[in-house]
Amino acid sequence: MPYHEFECSKCIPERKQHAVTKGPGEDLTSCLPKGYLNTIPGSISERGCAYCGAKHVIGTPMKDVIHLSHGPIGCTYDTWQTKRYISDNGNFQLKYTFATDVREKHIVFGAEKLLKQNIIEAFQQFPDIKRMTIYQTCATALIGDDINAIAEEVMEELPDVDIFICNSPGFAGPSQSGGHHKINIAWINQKVGTVEPTITSDYVINYVGEYNIQGDQEVMQDFFKRMGIQVLSTFTGNGSYDDLRAMHKAHLNVLECARSAEYICNELRVRYGIPRLDIDGFGFEPLSQSLRKVAMFFGIQDRAEAIIAEETARWKPELDWYKERLKGKKVCLWPGGSKLWHWAHVIEEEMGLKVVSVYTKFGHQGDMEKGIARCGEDALAIDDPNELEGLEALEMLKPDIIFTGKRPGEVAKKVGVPYLNAHAYHNGPYKGYEGWVRFARDIYNAIYSPIHQLAALDISRDPIPTDKGFVTQRMLSDASLPEEIRASTTLRQYSGAYDSVTPLRDKTYPTFDSRPAAAE
Amino acid sequence: MEDVTKTRVEQLIDYIMKNCLWQFHSRNWDRKRQNENILGMTTKLLCGEPVTPETPEDKCYWVDAFCLAEAYRERHPWLATLGVDQIRELMAKLHEQLDFQTITGSLNEELSDQHY
Ligand code: SF4
Repeated sequence: MPYHEFECSKCIPERKQHAVTKGPGEDLTSCLPKGYLNTIPGSISERGCAYCGAKHVIGTPMKDVIHLSHGPIGCTYDTWQTKRYISDNGNFQLKYTFATDVREKHIVFGAEKLLKQNIIEAFQQFPDIKRMTIYQTCATALIGDDINAIAEEVMEELPDVDIFICNSPGFAGPSQSGGHHKINIAWINQKVGTVEPTITSDYVINYVGEYNIQGDQEVMQDFFKRMGIQVLSTFTGNGSYDDLRAMHKAHLNVLECARSAEYICNELRVRYGIPRLDIDGFGFEPLSQSLRKVAMFFGIQDRAEAIIAEETARWKPELDWYKERLKGKKVCLWPGGSKLWHWAHVIEEEMGLKVVSVYTKFGHQGDMEKGIARCGEDALAIDDPNELEGLEALEMLKPDIIFTGKRPGEVAKKVGVPYLNAHAYHNGPYKGYEGWVRFARDIYNAIYSPIHQLAALDISRDPIPTDKGFVTQRMLSDASLPEEIRASTTLRQYSGAYDSVTPLRDKTYPTFDSRPAAAE
Repeated sequence: MEDVTKTRVEQLIDYIMKNCLWQFHSRNWDRKRQNENILGMTTKLLCGEPVTPETPEDKCYWVDAFCLAEAYRERHPWLATLGVDQIRELMAKLHEQLDFQTITGSLNEELSDQHY
């Protein structure tokens, strides 16, 4: 096994099995790190807890719901300032954070009374919202509060409300991924099948594992609607609680982030016979293939082809403008879970970047299989890295940019490596054809930022070029480009609007005649 | 395997690994089912035999198989020079290799988990 041992982790020998380099001729039978194991003591992990994975990743993107954490307010830290799963109802789920504010005295005397008071108060404060999710945390799990019983009591007293209980305290798994699993299963067990939906199309899907980061879901939904496909529910970005109770009535589950949501798709297949189609919504070619596959499933491929042709013609020249300027730039692709495989190959193919490393904080070995399969030779793959390993890898690999979360991202900036936020994005959405160009633009802006380059100079160490004047991005990026590229009249920079999502909300869509051959 | 077949199988596997997701379902039995059905249909499509998916599950295999067959035809003009038996033989080897890489030779310890 081509393990990579970090100097800084020599004192934690178990870490060696968590990093591999994909050498020439290596494949998945010879090159795969360990994964989804408890973090080794002594390694300061970048992971979140199982409550965080259940609530902050999967639960809270549901838009018409009071999301209440039963525990200390500290557990709700990752809310306003780190999450960007927007919604078309004024971002209710982002604007308000609810916690029962459990304190020492409740640990001693119990917090059930406090919980009930909080539930009722929250519904009173927001009389238009009739749905709630309650999340267990470490403290309340340990004292044995019976959240279910309290929720039942409230539902009896307030018959127009519905409450979902997510029993995934922080310790319920090695990482946030344990929480993803728990909430998937809890949702299908408690809620799926409890609402009968109105079916408006012959073609009905659940769009699963999509969290509407900066509008991704709305972009994809636009494509589906243009094809006359009903998105019965989205699990869970911009998703509605009652729509998600009706997931059992879809014809197809279209699965985007398999890491966080394959569980519910697998269960829907076993329990309701709804098949699972895994797709990639990022990148022109993978997205085109994905739209084509969904359409083919329903026998409406012509509708997908029309969208693919229109969108490609509109946006490809802009993607290629950036590709010319990003060719050969080295990337550390260090996201949380699924983006390491969603992006690994396509950023090389369509943007000319070179992936020198992939890592995952909470991915399983299955994610590493997909990621390693998709990257080229010499890529360093790391599972559950710690900060020192990250710094050592940056020093060794010297990437031009890193795609990661905001905490490791800020660390990278300090050592002069520009970073893009792979979880919440910089100027997303990144899905869709236009979104992919927005991503390329963000990469370009980060790599060729004159201020970033200036900031990388250390005045205590580096010579400061006082003889040089102001530079622009174009001066930096175009310096070594051939004239025909630089002066090309077909290639152009991103020309879309600042906000590419809001206009989608008022769009009207074509109506299609019912087709007898539609899938049942 | 003779060299030319080996190279061809490697090219075909490489496309699947870099562009597809269906071969990486989460359990051994899941992967077996996926590989068998999708590659089975791809083989038929490449051999010019009819594939008529009836159930929703079959349709799901079929869309992946159809796109794979198209991609193979587009990327590998040498496929057009092969006879039906040669294609079947090549695809059988591909199936064997894919099962090895994703199931029997896989280092993924979760594949044999009893639960989903
Ligand atoms: S580990 Fe426990 S206490 Fe800490 S944030 Fe998670 S649920 Fe709260």
